[in-house]
Amino acid sequence: MTNSSRPLPQPSRWSAGYWEAAAERRFVVQECRSCDRPIMYPKRVCPHCLGDDLGWRASPGKGEIYAVTAQLAGPPTGFADRLPYVVAIIRLDEGVQLMSNIVGDGALEARIGDRVSVGFEDAGGTVLPVFRLDESEVAR
Amino acid sequence: MQKVRAAAVGIGEVPSGRFPERSEIEAAILACRDAILDAGMAPTDIDVVMPVGALASRHFNVDLVFSRLCEELGMLRSAKMNVQVMSGGATSSSMLAIAEGLIAGGLARNVLCIHSDAVGSLPKQAGIDLFSTTGVSEEWEAPYGHNMNAVGALAANRYMHETGTTEEELASVCVALRQWAQLNPHAMFRTPLTIEEVLASKMVATPLRAKHCNMLADGAAAFIVARAEDAPHITKTPVYVRGHGSLVTHYTVSQDTNLARLGFEEAGAEAYAKAGIGPEHMQLAQIYDAYPVWPLITLDGLKLCRGERAGAFVAAGETSPGGSLPMTTNGGMLSQGHTAVGGGIAVLVEAFRQLMGKAGERQVANLVNAVETASGGTWMDSHVTILSKEY
Repeated sequence: MTNSSRPLPQPSRWSAGYWEAAAERRFVVQECRSCDRPIMYPKRVCPHCLGDDLGWRASPGKGEIYAVTAQLAGPPTGFADRLPYVVAIIRLDEGVQLMSNIVGDGALEARIGDRVSVGFEDAGGTVLPVFRLDESEVAR
Repeated sequence: MQKVRAAAVGIGEVPSGRFPERSEIEAAILACRDAILDAGMAPTDIDVVMPVGALASRHFNVDLVFSRLCEELGMLRSAKMNVQVMSGGATSSSMLAIAEGLIAGGLARNVLCIHSDAVGSLPKQAGIDLFSTTGVSEEWEAPYGHNMNAVGALAANRYMHETGTTEEELASVCVALRQWAQLNPHAMFRTPLTIEEVLASKMVATPLRAKHCNMLADGAAAFIVARAEDAPHITKTPVYVRGHGSLVTHYTVSQDTNLARLGFEEAGAEAYAKAGIGPEHMQLAQIYDAYPVWPLITLDGLKLCRGERAGAFVAAGETSPGGSLPMTTNGGMLSQGHTAVGGGIAVLVEAFRQLMGKAGERQVANLVNAVETASGGTWMDSHVTILSKEY
């Protein structure tokens, strides 16, 4: 198994802006211009007001870990050579949640409540937002 | 309290495990045949056939959709409708609710519900990959290596954080289920299991070890739902549907904002209110598992542990044979085997079997009321059904 078989996102017409920003190492969160709420993951219509005047707001990409697991065995196709890797649900400071990987120093010891910041990982031509533990957490 | 409208009147099941010589259609035919015979019915008494969605073979599933079972089992020109019901692992509860609704509305009289699948005979990696796409977002989760073990692990991580549940308590769920499975000839795993063995098994997805994880299995089970007023004339052992409650809390697990609770408190309150009886009346808990954290979340939400933490309750043996609240006496998906959607169907059929007094060596004595639960995909929803031998 190689990285080439790792599943990569196939952007939809309404999510393309998220991945285009990531390719430029910018992190954005979808926003509804009708009700002013942040939306993650990006949707075709606002799940709060059903409006479709949606855009992107720059996000500092900061938040905390809501739940985390280190994957040590039995991965899906495309991830055998990435073991061990860390899957987490991140709760951004904007109040929305997303799934990502925790990478870098201390990732395998990441815990609920740890502060994290966005980073970017080139996965065979697609840039994925990933998260790193803030320095204060690594020093713990 | 709602009017009792429907009852289960017959069940059928084949053993779960790896049976490469037994096709899905063969298992389906045998489970349906046994359910029809168990109800003392003829195939022509069935007017609606509800096959559950099957995952391992598209061709088999298409056969289910297009009435093959009506042709195989002598229901042509008597069955009025063959309709697939599918909400993943929640289908046990949701199809029972749909059958009840059709019966209550006069649109059906005798509904045959059937699940068969052969995910246990898939190559190992194909099984992992299949369950890495059920309730997993292709765009937002799969690129990060998300998979079904990670779902059970993320929820366990959050639940242990919020409740203080220990690794030993988590392992005790697997041990309790195995104790019941040792008494179930249809179970895939029947050898004794200890907490030490669970904790010594290989770490797979922290905090889950290999023996915290279910094994995919082939299996099939069926049941027949009839009008409550007909049920005592059909069988001596009807099981009445007293009340059902449910709530959808996510599609992708990363969007659940209360992963240590899900929707079981709300679903349970709805089901208890409809049934007019509460947790103190439940003598058997048939709880959808797949991973050990889910029964704990469910026991808490349904308030079945007399004010104790679910982990401590299970670790004390309260849900094991001889305990005060027998739980998932077929062994659940962790020990009977994970037959895809059928894991939940087996849990429901065991509830019927126990209330019918047909559970053999593992029969719970003096049983009148039981609660059954289910959840689909990555525990997208919380379903609770109250079942009784009498009302």
